[in-house]
Amino acid sequence: MREIGIEQLDDIARGAGILGTGGGGDPYIGKLLAREAIRRHGPVTVADIDEVPADATVVPVSAMGAPTVLLEKLPSGAEELTALRALEAVLGRPATHIVPIEIGGVNSMIPIAAAAESGLPLVDGDAMGRAFPEAQMVLPTLIGVSTTPMALADDKGNTLVVDAVSNLWSERIARSACVEMGCQVSCADTVLRGDQLRDGLVPATLTLAEDLGRAVRLARHEHADPVAAARDLLGGTRLLTGKVIDVERRTSGGFARGQASLEGLGADAGRTLRLNFQNEHLLATRDGEVVATTPDLICVLDTETGEPVTTENMRYGLRVTVIAAPCDPRWTTPAGLALAGPRYFGYDCDHVPLTLA
Amino acid sequence: MSRPRAGLDVGPTNTDAVLVDAAGHVLTAAKVSSVPGDPVASVTAALDALGAPDVAQVAIGLRGAASAIARRSGLCRVAVLRIGGPATRAVRPLFGWPADLLAAVHAGTAIVDGGGGLDPEDRSPLDRDAVARFAGQVAERAEAVAVTGVFAPLDGDQEREAAEIVRAELGPLPVSLSADLGTLGLLERENTTVLDAALSRHARDTVARLSTALPGAAVFVTRGDGTLMSLEHLARHPGLSLGSGPASALRGAGLLTGLTHAVVADVGASRIRVGALADGFPEEAAHGAEIGGVPVAFRMPDLIQVPIGAAPGSPGSPAPAELAELAEAVDRLQPAADRLPLVVVGGGAAAVPDGLSGVGDVRHPPHGRVAGAIGAIGSPVGGQAERIVRLDDRSRDAGALDEILEEARASAVRAGADPRAIEIVETHRAPLAYLPGSFVRVRVRAAGPPAPLAPPPPKGLRNDR
Repeated sequence: MREIGIEQLDDIARGAGILGTGGGGDPYIGKLLAREAIRRHGPVTVADIDEVPADATVVPVSAMGAPTVLLEKLPSGAEELTALRALEAVLGRPATHIVPIEIGGVNSMIPIAAAAESGLPLVDGDAMGRAFPEAQMVLPTLIGVSTTPMALADDKGNTLVVDAVSNLWSERIARSACVEMGCQVSCADTVLRGDQLRDGLVPATLTLAEDLGRAVRLARHEHADPVAAARDLLGGTRLLTGKVIDVERRTSGGFARGQASLEGLGADAGRTLRLNFQNEHLLATRDGEVVATTPDLICVLDTETGEPVTTENMRYGLRVTVIAAPCDPRWTTPAGLALAGPRYFGYDCDHVPLTLA
Repeated sequence: MSRPRAGLDVGPTNTDAVLVDAAGHVLTAAKVSSVPGDPVASVTAALDALGAPDVAQVAIGLRGAASAIARRSGLCRVAVLRIGGPATRAVRPLFGWPADLLAAVHAGTAIVDGGGGLDPEDRSPLDRDAVARFAGQVAERAEAVAVTGVFAPLDGDQEREAAEIVRAELGPLPVSLSADLGTLGLLERENTTVLDAALSRHARDTVARLSTALPGAAVFVTRGDGTLMSLEHLARHPGLSLGSGPASALRGAGLLTGLTHAVVADVGASRIRVGALADGFPEEAAHGAEIGGVPVAFRMPDLIQVPIGAAPGSPGSPAPAELAELAEAVDRLQPAADRLPLVVVGGGAAAVPDGLSGVGDVRHPPHGRVAGAIGAIGSPVGGQAERIVRLDDRSRDAGALDEILEEARASAVRAGADPRAIEIVETHRAPLAYLPGSFVRVRVRAAGPPAPLAPPPPKGLRNDR
């Protein structure tokens, strides 16, 4: 058992931004929420997966909806607990642990705030190992764990508990409800027993996020290469170092799709890379050849600082390095790819295993 | 014969001035030493140097607001009211402010119930009693009030309602409303509103003295987005002048070359500011803008600063290493693969050679030394509006867009534009992430020529709108 205090939050947020693969919402606002919660209630106790009793009730707590709304209508600080209590009422038993549903982006920080407020320990792991946009895109789906009962709470105190026939239906119903509840809700869902954590979670990802954030910070401080530090920790490969020369965004079929074109600089001069993104970066095509796809992680980092660049902030002229890192191997099984492979997102290509240098 | 017009740029060291005819052609240019700490004296000295006692219109770039914040001097003590409870309580107002700025500005904070939502029907009722109680609590301390309502950029009614309550309790003190100042993003917009309120006295003094010094001329000042506003508008919204110096220089570089898309280097004595023009206006900092150590949401140019003249042996002119740094900054700001020309302006423009390594097309326009003054007199009065539109209802979308365009035009009129000649200069749409594709954030900018008659000077009393 160890603790997360205010001093760890910067590193975790930076690492979570990198693991967000361009999406997941900027962890910045989540960091402020976690910071205020820890300031009021004290540090959060963290448990490794191995330390959680088999009969524990482990509840992922998260934010769902538009980051734009989260940045405007900040939470009261009570929403996560309202969602948690609504879920507990249906479960008929109290939660014993909190866990992040996704380590990428702002949802790495919301559970830290929830753990501080509830006084419950936080499990070091998450259900994705990155960021994904939909509720069913979690490892628990692959082992038959239901995302429901799923409790949603808004800022006004309204709650809704969804009971769905499949995890895909839970996403459809919850997303619609989220819009009606103001486009930003707190969620408690996808309840795991302690003995399901090994199969339902990617282990030690809070630690990974903190290590990643620290490595980038220290590399920068020592005038070393922060991008290389991130790549090494992720066991990934560098796809291109270059400059964004074009960004195109459009809304089609209910999805905001975009693509960015990069041209190589330095050793990569003469090469090009195209990134296709929706909420996250999903596809990387180098010199006409697909070299990385979802569910593997495609991370765009500022070449100089190693800070993550979100899809929303992709703009002309940015100097970035694109790295690709392998996802948890369970995502590249046929069932995993059906949930979160390139075809699910509407791209006409198969998953391409990464060539690791 | 129509009377000439004058543009001025009051810098920390020099004040630049140009006299232009009705068609915008430069008749005379002048550079005088600025009177330290007295922008109005600098303005009158520069107008004298132009030999132009009778001008129809004056447009002035003032940079005093930024230095007032940087020096923490002349600032009002501000009561900070957030309308957003029961939400938003998780992060308090003025979170993360530098202690010395907080000490200079803070006169109390409160979060009261109320605020809007993405959907107008999501609005929570304003707790009017809580607003009145807060006003009573800060009555002894507050010199200005900053009101920030959740989703106010989409619907500012509750902010105006709160301002009325505050004025009923405290009398006619300055009240800044966030809806007039910034975009979505509560904490940055709240910081923006507090700084705006803190600048009230500074702006009011400047406006009163300028009105007296320049009777008979329509006087406008520059703002951070490269447009102009009337003195009355400056008195109501002092913060809008922040970032206006660099914005005017960028605008001037465009006007002098006829380029609407360019990278611009403004060369001063100790630094070069590099920015970009898109459609004739400065590219704005998308995020991460800070003033006085505080994250803000003012519309200001996205700039890279290159310090110069530090190398030994070449005081005041850039060394080779500094020129290389400039070339890299220019390259960073190139918007796309097609290389835009680099326009070099400012007092030290001559020190940047035509053959700057890696930059193909370098322009040194005539009168580039006074680009800021030319940008001031050659710019329109601006306004903007922002809404989030739900696209799944087509009729509502069409109606909503009309409303946004109208609101942008009205915003330009409030800033002093001639209502007969306002144009929509930009409509920007971006879908909101992680929602099912149906919500689009629409931002519209409008601009028009300055209204010919000077608006009545404010009488120390600020109204909202």
